[in-house]
Amino acid sequence: MFQSIELQPGIHLHIRPTDQFKTVNFSFKFKHELTNQSASERSVLANVLVHSNEQFPSNPAFRSYLDELYGTILYLDSSKKGSNHYITLLAETVNDQYLSTDGVLDQVLNLLQTVLFRPNLEQGKFKDSIVKREKDSVIQRIESLYDDKTRYAQQRLVELMRPNHPASIGANGTIDAITAITNESLFDAYKKMLEEDELDIYVVGDVNVEEMTSKLQQAFEFKARQLNQKDLHKDVEHPKVEKNAVNEYQEMKQGKLHIGYETNVTFTHPDFPKMQITNGIFGGYPHAKLFLNVREKESMAYYVSSSFSSAYGLLFVLAGIDASKQEKAVGLIDEQLEAMKKGEISQNEIDQTVAMLKNQLKEALDSARGQIEIFDQYKDLGEEFTVDSWVAKWATVTKDDIQEMAKSINKQLVYFLSGKEEMSHEGASL
Amino acid sequence: MKELHFKQLDEKLFHEKMDNGLDVYILPKKGFSKTFVTFTTKYGSIDSKFVPLGESEEITVPDGIAHFLEHKMFEKEDGDVFQKFSGYGASANAFTSFTRTAYLFSATDHLYENTETLLNFVQEPYFTQATVEKEKGIIGQEITMYDDQPDWRLYFGTIENMYKDHPVKIDIAGTIESIDAITAEHLYTCYETFYHPSNMLLFVVGAVNPEEMMTYIREHQNKKEFAEFKPIKRSFPNEPLEVAKQENKLFMDVQKPKVYVGLKAKETSIQGDAMMKHEMGIQLALELIFGRSSDFYVQAYEKGWIDESYAFDFTLEKGYGFAIIGSDTSKPKELVEAIKKELKKVEEKWPFGQSDLDRVRKKKIGYFLRALNSVEYIANQFTRYAFNDMDLFDAVPALEQITVADLQNAFASIQGENQQTVFSVLPKKEQETS
Repeated sequence: MFQSIELQPGIHLHIRPTDQFKTVNFSFKFKHELTNQSASERSVLANVLVHSNEQFPSNPAFRSYLDELYGTILYLDSSKKGSNHYITLLAETVNDQYLSTDGVLDQVLNLLQTVLFRPNLEQGKFKDSIVKREKDSVIQRIESLYDDKTRYAQQRLVELMRPNHPASIGANGTIDAITAITNESLFDAYKKMLEEDELDIYVVGDVNVEEMTSKLQQAFEFKARQLNQKDLHKDVEHPKVEKNAVNEYQEMKQGKLHIGYETNVTFTHPDFPKMQITNGIFGGYPHAKLFLNVREKESMAYYVSSSFSSAYGLLFVLAGIDASKQEKAVGLIDEQLEAMKKGEISQNEIDQTVAMLKNQLKEALDSARGQIEIFDQYKDLGEEFTVDSWVAKWATVTKDDIQEMAKSINKQLVYFLSGKEEMSHEGASL
Repeated sequence: MKELHFKQLDEKLFHEKMDNGLDVYILPKKGFSKTFVTFTTKYGSIDSKFVPLGESEEITVPDGIAHFLEHKMFEKEDGDVFQKFSGYGASANAFTSFTRTAYLFSATDHLYENTETLLNFVQEPYFTQATVEKEKGIIGQEITMYDDQPDWRLYFGTIENMYKDHPVKIDIAGTIESIDAITAEHLYTCYETFYHPSNMLLFVVGAVNPEEMMTYIREHQNKKEFAEFKPIKRSFPNEPLEVAKQENKLFMDVQKPKVYVGLKAKETSIQGDAMMKHEMGIQLALELIFGRSSDFYVQAYEKGWIDESYAFDFTLEKGYGFAIIGSDTSKPKELVEAIKKELKKVEEKWPFGQSDLDRVRKKKIGYFLRALNSVEYIANQFTRYAFNDMDLFDAVPALEQITVADLQNAFASIQGENQQTVFSVLPKKEQETS
């Protein structure tokens, strides 16, 4: 699918020539160990680098130039996967063949080089006013989590289950760590990113592989770097969780029920394909046990589903319910998992789930971004990824395998966020 | 079957109107492994007053019924339609907007089985009072979920400020009280009136052989019988030009105030090419005034009046239209003043020339070409354009022809203080301390 070459130790280029899309996509993924501090610094750094640069020292000048390049999309993104933090520089530009002018692609390549290597500096540092403004901006992004009750409740559940652990460290860092950032510490983080981070560069579009490779080699002088290869999916130690239920309250109408489960399976574990099917039958799809029994049969919820977080081996159930029905909903959800532990799994459920997993994977490959993300994730497995090889793994999974997987899923914490009037005598356990 | 070739875009579109009136469009996309199919009726939340098929008296149905009907289409005598789609590995869904109800699936296998499932489940209604009652609990939770979303409340609060009588001011899902009145009989009445094939459009895009698929659909549709089609009589109240309320606010458990300035459109009667030119004109004008490269944006961002939630948008359908500009902000007063000042400046002296237009035009052409990578965008937008007598694939030529004067003329539709309203969602703690 992608043609990969090593540009330098620690720097790999992956190109996929295709005429499927009307645009060319670029993605530069800089990988670094995830900590509160690194996430905080790198989130602010991403904002500072996309604000302006040496060629376009003001943001509107930079933005106008992108408009002129037929609305080329260019941004930096801060994210995490497993125990790593990523700064990703993304660009998408219209393929020259659809435009009345050409040379747009070359201008975009130059611009990517400028954004990474020629930042907007004043006496060898970032501009203080920009750093201050972008620190505020990331702090506001973190604060806005509170206004989205589903995301907030999920974050609280993970914090309670895995405190100070990559699973609960936010990709944007923390307000305290961002406040502590200085111009010097930010510049250090920038230097480290360019010189030490492991880097994968992806290109997808109607391009010539040799020509693109040589252009990238000329434009981007990345130096070789030492690889501090840690197992991405190795679980980090975590303290034992003391509580098994936490209720919290805000001014709101619906009750947000979030249940966390532990498993022994992560993305690199040989049982991963079995766990994907197990999660699918439990609550991953509209044919799943949770959807049929909690939503359709009992009319208790509009949304109720499960998801498997393969990077951390955690499974989550999410449901929006009437605040007075917490106990009943938890009971019904428990029943569905119990049924699976007892082997109440039909061949039809397995077939439907495998068909859905297969469709989801193939569909994801219909976007350039999807192709990049899937290739980037599966390359860590050290075996060549194809859709057929994954479909073959799912095809061998049996009812007994799924029952075994279900038995290995341990409920750890029930988190419930609901309205203040429901507080009554229970009291908040925060 | 008609074939339309858009050379500049390198796309071919196939169209046929079936004998029963259904419009079918097929767009093959090379390199794709999935096919995305939407089956849409021109019927949405605003269609609550109409003359039912075969009758002569106008009726009013409960708010939220189009959305309720959408939910109930999935349940059949022999079970849930999702089960069938899952068996063939398709992800299915549906949505209801102000003006449309769409049923859709995407699949990488079993295209014909899934297409048959889609056509059959939408063309074979099954409602009972028991299943209708059961759904009220599910939709009640959906409504409660939206009630807790401050951005949704902000959006609807702004529309409610602008519209005095038009049903666009009512939440698409209705209220817990309004849906309580819905009966199976209501659902059949709405279904028979609005789900006639001649009021619907089927769009197939992605991995598909157009000739084979068109033949399949034609044969499938010819086997079914439908009532004779009569034009649907819908009615809407007379809506004044100016906004209903100039200001309103809501207190919620949020960290930071959220504010929208809404601009109610005066021109909402045009359709077809004129509508395309008009809405493009307003969108481009807004991009110039409030876009990322504008003087306004720079000032508001540097002063910390806006954050990453900042957005602006223009919506136009027959009978209503509005622009919205806003952000989460710790300085709602300053932000609103700055937006109004900027609008006034543009009204007093139009500041944009040819080079400004050329820049945003390029941006928009790039946006459109990028969007053509998305089969979801193509199917949904094509349908929306077609229901307003426009053609999505005319967008680039229309953009190439638009002039600075067109932008200025179009902008007049949303200018003037009488068109402006402000809605805010404020932190509960501000209410307690004030």
